[in-house]
Parts: sequence; structure tokens; C-alpha cells
Amino acid sequence: MSITDRKPEAQINEPTFTKRLFDDALKFMTKRKTTLAAVVILVALLFVTACGPFIAPYGANALNLADRLQAPNSSHLLGTDNFGRDILSRALSGTRITLLLGLSISGFALLFGLPIGMLCGFYDRFGMVVMRVVDAMMAFPAIILALALMAIFGKPGVLNVIIAVGIVWAPRMVRVVYSSTLSLRENTYVEAARALGMQSFRILVRHIAINLLSPVIVQATFTFAFSIMEVAALNFLGVGIPPYIASWGGMMNEGRTYIIRAPWIILFPGLFLATAVLSFNLLGDALRDRLDPKLRRIM
Amino acid sequence: MLAFVMRRGLGILISTLLVVAITFILMQLIPGDPAAVMLGSNATPQQIQQLRVSWGLDQPMLVQFYRYFVNFLHGDLGQSLFYQRPVLQIIGQRAETSTFLGIMALLVVVGVGIPAGVISSLKQNSLTDNALLLVALAGASIPSFWLGLMLMVVVAGNWHLLPSSGFTSVLQTGNLANLKNLILPALSLGFVNAALVARTARSSMLDVLRADYITTARAKGLAERVVIIKHALRNASIPIITVISFTFASLVSGAVVTENVFALPGVGSLIVQSVLKRDYPVIQGIMMVVAVIYVLVNFATDLTYASLDPRIRYH
Repeated sequence: MSITDRKPEAQINEPTFTKRLFDDALKFMTKRKTTLAAVVILVALLFVTACGPFIAPYGANALNLADRLQAPNSSHLLGTDNFGRDILSRALSGTRITLLLGLSISGFALLFGLPIGMLCGFYDRFGMVVMRVVDAMMAFPAIILALALMAIFGKPGVLNVIIAVGIVWAPRMVRVVYSSTLSLRENTYVEAARALGMQSFRILVRHIAINLLSPVIVQATFTFAFSIMEVAALNFLGVGIPPYIASWGGMMNEGRTYIIRAPWIILFPGLFLATAVLSFNLLGDALRDRLDPKLRRIM
Repeated sequence: MLAFVMRRGLGILISTLLVVAITFILMQLIPGDPAAVMLGSNATPQQIQQLRVSWGLDQPMLVQFYRYFVNFLHGDLGQSLFYQRPVLQIIGQRAETSTFLGIMALLVVVGVGIPAGVISSLKQNSLTDNALLLVALAGASIPSFWLGLMLMVVVAGNWHLLPSSGFTSVLQTGNLANLKNLILPALSLGFVNAALVARTARSSMLDVLRADYITTARAKGLAERVVIIKHALRNASIPIITVISFTFASLVSGAVVTENVFALPGVGSLIVQSVLKRDYPVIQGIMMVVAVIYVLVNFATDLTYASLDPRIRYH
């Protein structure tokens, strides 16, 4: 039976692209309980980011000295800090800056990692030189390089943190893109494109870049998780974003003096952070297994 | 084996040169003139010029880099702006705490991570396995400094079991009991990394346990303990060792914050203080020392691979 003999009804019943995408996403999320949990947490975080100021019971920086160092109670669900600021409201406000920083840092890593990694993987000589430098950059433990960069920039600031932590994670993105490009370029379709006389640049964009999507998405998810942890560490050390912006790391830093009297100042921001990191890690694991199980070896 | 060592040795030299070069370039990015920063705001232009000449800052960049690299190889990492002493000497004084902390944390990583992973793999899909996996999953997402603070509240604050902060030298006082101060920091630092090792040990053991030679070993009547330790674990060890060597960088990163949490006089708290004081020579000194140690750790890992799996030597 040839293709033309197929009954027209069969084509009508074929699910549309959107429907297929939706079904696929649904299957992906419900296959494992942990993935579903991660997605639910991420949706909640996004909701808090979008509506934070409307659902927070108090202002993130609203002082109320009469209510200072209160344990969690009905009017302050997660307690208050030494200035009487509501921990819940501050933690919700911290969600927004955390997601913003995580997104910007992953974006930064992608912006530099993708083109550099592709060029290194495609042009051997270029790759040989640049990958040496990339490897040397990875010899500096993440927080040490980030601290040094923050010292060089001279002052705390959101943009400075994005650049400092971005520079730390970009080489790791380069590595992933590089090793994926190396294996992609050996594919027959790349050879075919070259035989047809396609230029290298077009091959890179049309055939390699599109296939890099899976590893890059997975790596970006992990970069997100690691970078928000690192940002929290910088804020905790007092060299991240300025203290007047409520952040989870900064809250934990401020709570240290009162750690025995009021441990909730540190407990809750840490739980927020751990939950966010956990959900990105879970999502990264699930995406990796779904998109390309082979990645397990190079990541 | 000798050829293998030589080849990797050359690689180390190149990596070291690049590490020093990156540090050098980064330090060129500092806004302002280092000599002016060093002398403070009361310095006259003549004094600044004098210092520039004596530091060689008036020389071309490549000459400066050459001197910088030669000095580095001689162990001269410059002078601290704040302490007015050689950087290497200051790092040396702080090294003891960090080394002890690192060793103890590594003991936690290996001592908890590998057994947990092996047990998990032997009882695949049991309640124990699932519980261990869940703990490992959560463990890998917890910030070590937060775990440290919480341990401090509960173990030191509420139960008064262990000291909550500070550390006095063991080498100078000869008092091993001082190591008690490092137990909580090492636990909080090690646990997060142990989680990672446990996950790798589990999946690596699961791969190996299905192999034919394990069935053979059991069939010829070897004790289960021998099968697991000599046949399975040894063959599963390469991915485990890779992860343990990765934990070096992660332990250093974690130690920077953990030392700060527990007020330990280590290299990690030194770099944070130096960042806050803008003591650039100390920052760059720590960067280079840590990166070179990292390169050496990787080298040691490669050698371990080669001795565990003879096939690797010929690649």
C-alpha cells in the first residue's frame, strides 16, 4: 500500500503540534513524582515573583521595632527579625531577586558559552587554544573567582553579581557546548551538508546549533541552581548585592547575631533557598533523562 | 607509566602558566593605580612614581608578567597591603585550619558517601534505598553554610555538645582535642558533598553488579563481602574517584563560607576579609595557590585512574 492510499480520515484525527507538545509535557511532568513536585514548586516561585508585593502581608523593608525578634505567630507567620521586619514578606521579596539573578546569570553563561563552545568544537585549532584557557578558568573554585571579581569591581551591586557569577559559570557552559559540538559534527548530516557545499557558518547555525538545544537547556537549568546558591553565599558573606535589597543570603547574614535567640531569621530563608535549588536540580535531572540520556556522562 | 606521567606533567606546567596569566590579567582590571592605592590618599606624586619604579609598574606589560611569573615560581606572591607582610607567609599561617578542615570534611565525604551508595545499590528499590536517595537528593541542594548554622543552633546552642566556633592551632599547642572545634564545620561541609558521592557510588555500583564476573565470583563461592569489596567496588571506583576529585573544588568553595560561619582562622576567611579590605595581593595569592593545588589534585586523580585501570595509560 502506498502513502497516497491512506484514508483522509486518519489525517484529520492526527493531533496538532500544540496538542502533541502539551501531551508530551504532561507525560514528562507526571512520569515521576519528583518532576511534578519540582514543576509545582517552580510555578509557585514564579507566582510569588509575579504577585509577591500583593500577597506579602508587610513591606519587605517595613520596620516595626515594637515587634522585633518575634517567633513565628499568627500575625507574623515566619516571625520577625531584629528590626521587626516580617520574615515571610522579606523571603517572598527575596524570591524575586533570586529568580532575576538566576535567570540573568544563566543567560550570561549562555550568551558567552554557546558561541565560544561551538566555535571551539568546530574549529580544532581555535578550540585547542581557547579550551586550555577555559580549563584554566575552571581551576579556580567558583566562590574564590566570584569573590575576586567582586573585589575587582569594587562595590556590591546587582549587575556586578551577574557579571561575576556569570564569568564563573560561562566556562562550564563552554565545556558542555564544546563536547556536544565535537560529537555532533561527526554526524552524517553534517557531512552531507558539507558535501552539498554548505558554508561552515551555515552548518554551525542550521545543523549544529539546533541540535545543541537539549544539552544547553539542561546545563542552563543546572547553572540556575548552582548560581542562586552561589549568589546566596556571596550575599551571606556581605559582598553580593547591596543590603537594602532583601535577599535570602543577606537575611541569613543579618540573622547571625541573633542565631540562638531567633533562629527562624536564618531557618526560613535557607528553606526557601534549598527548595528552589532542589526543584531546579530535580528539573535538570528529569530534563536530562528526557532529552538526552547520554548527557549523564559529560555532565 | 613514565611517559604518561611526563605527558601529564607538561600539561600541569601549561595549566599553571595559564592560571598565573589569568590572575595577572584580572588584577590589571582593578580600577586605579596599585601604587596609589598602596600609599593611600596622602601620598605625593613623587612617592607614587618611586613605588611604581620599584615595583616595575613602569615596565611594559609583558615584562611585568614575566617578572610576576618568575616571582611566583620562587614562591614570592608579593606583599599584603594590609598586613605589610609577604602574602605566602600569611597564607601559610592560615593553611593549618583549612587543611585540617578539608581532611575532616573529606573523611565525612568518603566515610558517609561511599557506604551509603554501596548499601543503597545492594538494596535497590527497598525502603532503605529510597530513604537514602531522598536524603542524598535533599543534601545536594542544601547550602552548606545554612546546614552549618542550623547544626550550630541545635548541637552547640541547645545541646551544648560541641563548641560552636573558633579554632586554636593543633600543631603549636600539640592538643588534638582542639580538633573538636572542626567537627561541626566538617560535618556541614562534608554532608553536601557526601550526597553527591553517594548518588554516583550507587549508580556506578548498580552498573557493575549486573556484570558477568560478579555472577562468576558468586558462583565460585566467594564470600559476599569479598565479591562486593574486591570485585564490585574496585571496578565501580573510577566514577566515584572522579566525583571525589570534583569535590575538592566544591570543598574549597564551601570552606570559604563555612570558615566564615564558624569563625575559623583559615584561608577561606582570609580571602573574605581581604575582599572586604581590598587587599588585592592577598586575593591574587590565594587564587593562584588554590588553583595550582586544584591542578595538582587533578594530576593525582589521573595517576590514580592509571593505576586502577591500566588501559588508561595508553590513551
